[in-house]
Amino acid sequence: MPESTTEFLERVHRQEYAKLIATLIGWLGDFELAEEALQDAFVSAMEHWEQNRAPRKPDAWLTTTARRKAIDRLRRSKPQIVDPEQLEDLPPKELAVTEDFGEVGEIPDERLKLIFTCCHPALPLEQQIALTLHTVGGLTTTEIAAAFLVTVPTMGQRLVRAKRKIKNAGIPYYVPPAHLLA
Amino acid sequence: MKYVLLVYGDENAAANMPAEAMQAFMGEYAAYTTKIQTNGIRKTGEAFQPTTTATTVRMQEAKKVTTHGPFAETKEQLGGFYLIECENLDEAIEWAAKCPDARFGSIEVRPVMEYNQGP
Repeated sequence: MPESTTEFLERVHRQEYAKLIATLIGWLGDFELAEEALQDAFVSAMEHWEQNRAPRKPDAWLTTTARRKAIDRLRRSKPQIVDPEQLEDLPPKELAVTEDFGEVGEIPDERLKLIFTCCHPALPLEQQIALTLHTVGGLTTTEIAAAFLVTVPTMGQRLVRAKRKIKNAGIPYYVPPAHLLA
Repeated sequence: MKYVLLVYGDENAAANMPAEAMQAFMGEYAAYTTKIQTNGIRKTGEAFQPTTTATTVRMQEAKKVTTHGPFAETKEQLGGFYLIECENLDEAIEWAAKCPDARFGSIEVRPVMEYNQGP
């Protein structure tokens, strides 16, 4: 029996989530916005892929759609740290990669940066672990709450605090230079 | 990003320091301040008079109430600050670690709230 759109999307979500979210955070510099935009993109995919055929490169499709959704969200909200005008000034090479859902270009894998940011020593250990499981591991708040034996709202709060600290305290999104890893 | 380095230390220990040691310590501070200044990191900064000179003010039922000293009795007191501009938190932490008081007291690194210019 051929895979349904839902099954296909579930598989893509399972296999690609961390890579997609890592790329988007690198581009947006904002965990919460990246998560919301990616969620929007998956909702769009559900509608579009059901009607048309699923794209050959679902990760490229989702990245491009999530980027557009992020710009939409930024336009709708008050000007924040990221300026939507600035985001549209993407270098032409990157545009070529994302506009073409076909063979061209690979999405850079930024998962290592994501792990380092989630595990930054300025975050409490309990936040580091929860956030890593959430973003890199793709686990839901409910699943992580169960593992830590805390309520879902408590875990939700913990994740939000971690994401906000990363943004507001300027925790960098990079693989730290060697002297910081010693 | 802008950060404030809040320098906490033990005032009593500083007051009881032998003159020579104190001079050496002040020399370290001068060197640190020069370094952070020439790197274009420091925007401003001040050292405070000890907490024995402080006055705390509150309005209680529209009446001005003043008390002497800071409210909390702690081992370490706020002794000064640096306002710095850094690329990210890691850079701010590195500068905080170089502050002479980091060895005896502690340095709190606080990001400064940025108010966006609304349309």
